[in-house]
Amino acid sequence: MTRDRMLTLGALAAGLLFLSPVLYSIWMSFQTANAYYTGTLDFTLRNYAVSIGDYGFARYLMNSIIVSGLVTIAGLAMATMAAFAFARWTFRGGNLLFAAVVATLMIPSHITLIPNYLTLARVGLLDTYAGLILPAISNGFAAFFLRQYIRGIPRALDEAAYMDGATPLQVLWRVIVPVARPAILSMGLFIFISEWNNYIWPLVAVSDQDLYTLQIGLARLYKLNPGEGSIDWPLVMAASTLTILPVLLGFLLVERHLVRGITMGAVK
Amino acid sequence: MSAIQLTDIVKSYAHGPQVLHGVSMDIRDGEFAVIVGPSGCGKSTLLRLIAGLEQVSGGDITIGGQRANDMAPQDRDIAMIFQNYALYPHMTVRQNIAFGLELRRVPRAVRTARAEEVAAMLRLTPYLDRKPGALSGGQRQRVAMGRAMARDTTTFLMDEPLSNLDNALRTEMRTEIKELHGKLKATIVYVTHDQTEALSLADRVAVMKDGHLQQFDTPEAIYDRPANRFVAGFLGQPAMNFALARDLPGLRAPGDSIAGLRPEALSLHGTAPGGPALRARVTLSEMTGSGVILHCDTDAGRMTAVTPRHALPPDPGALWLGFDPARVHLFDAATGTRRPAPAAQPHTANLSA
Repeated sequence: MTRDRMLTLGALAAGLLFLSPVLYSIWMSFQTANAYYTGTLDFTLRNYAVSIGDYGFARYLMNSIIVSGLVTIAGLAMATMAAFAFARWTFRGGNLLFAAVVATLMIPSHITLIPNYLTLARVGLLDTYAGLILPAISNGFAAFFLRQYIRGIPRALDEAAYMDGATPLQVLWRVIVPVARPAILSMGLFIFISEWNNYIWPLVAVSDQDLYTLQIGLARLYKLNPGEGSIDWPLVMAASTLTILPVLLGFLLVERHLVRGITMGAVK
Repeated sequence: MSAIQLTDIVKSYAHGPQVLHGVSMDIRDGEFAVIVGPSGCGKSTLLRLIAGLEQVSGGDITIGGQRANDMAPQDRDIAMIFQNYALYPHMTVRQNIAFGLELRRVPRAVRTARAEEVAAMLRLTPYLDRKPGALSGGQRQRVAMGRAMARDTTTFLMDEPLSNLDNALRTEMRTEIKELHGKLKATIVYVTHDQTEALSLADRVAVMKDGHLQQFDTPEAIYDRPANRFVAGFLGQPAMNFALARDLPGLRAPGDSIAGLRPEALSLHGTAPGGPALRARVTLSEMTGSGVILHCDTDAGRMTAVTPRHALPPDPGALWLGFDPARVHLFDAATGTRRPAPAAQPHTANLSA
């Protein structure tokens, strides 16, 4: 067996190992609870119908898409503009401000939980979409990441656009954003996934069931089926599959850009 | 009117050195002005100041009769061609060329027609739908020119636009730029470190060194009457020979003068000629195709001479370098500034190596 072949097989085995819990949960989601507990085979789509219909997962899915989508769009817009300013403009206190942005990366998100909660409570934004979205929009990491990318874009491109008659916003929108698309899409996916998987903040900020996101809805399934043995695991797995499906699709859509974004600067 | 006046332009950076020291130039409407100088002399900075990409620290820039110091680049109505072309990589050639018009809200039909017209002029029509990444260096350079030409402007700034091209393409593009200037009747300010480009393209050449303008004059004047030793040595290939004037026979000049002799002003002789001459020993010869560059040791120091191959003396190892004192340039040894042409003194003897 050649070395390449062994490496391929090794990589395949490692991939399967990582994938096996996901594959097993998807497999389980198509079984009835009875079949699961008795070790027999009995395929059904009922778990999906129940989680979407009886447990309101369609609503949670929509909430998650709205919240994650808007956080991603607004977060990217803010981060891109901030990154452009930090990368291209020299202004008094600019370095200090950028250091402050980077410093936010060192603050654990849980520390901001209570201040954010109190602030939103004071302005009456708890139990609203705005309450779920606003605190997540400012993203120091995205601003830092995009600033580094934009710094790698030749400044001559901006200058050419200025000479062509562009305003700074036009330079950003018509030149920088298209050129930085791999980085922006990668960052967008990162933001989307982290917001999609966000559990603590929606749990704290929302008590209205109509505003539950998928992660809260998923946890609710356990609450509704308390006690080991009585949990309908195939139902939980169907709901989990529903939860990861949009992210998986999103990943497949931007995978090419994501890889380019991650490896940027590695090769010319 | 697109004349450009630069008056006492000073540029310095915070916590950095002063880059330009009071540069004044009066570039006429429709003139092809070339700024030339070694790396770091401030020529590109000067161009960027005219473009508005950087702010002057002192002095005035007037474009078309209007003071432009505080104008944003987009308000100066100037087109610029960058050294690395700066084409928008995500746009096709057509979009690149038409982008400036699009920003000025020119109707789509008009800008498309204009882009196609310019592309035809630059032989880019087959590539209109390609992106810059799929073009060769020469094609990219032409797109950069097309982008500038599509704009309805009469002032062009070019920052070493040919420096990334190979020699053959550079020669071809040089001709095209010169022809284009004739067609457009535009004011062009062109920056280069290549003296051949400077001399062949310019109506007038500005020679810069260390942020100071050394001379701004026609190529002929710059070559034939350099204002100082730096200009004399910078322009000319091979470079001008310098020696102490007192070491050259047959020359009447102040004792502290430096004499400059263009290589082509030296004539080669197998035996001592009638006029002033230096005995020389050839240390190296370089074949350049039609001619030969000879590096020689003489009593006045190292000298370089050029000659057609067929005119090489039978024994090129040892020969005489004759010269006409009227073609000798004199410079002040201390300041380097030009001195009046030397007088010939009655010929008495040649110096031997």
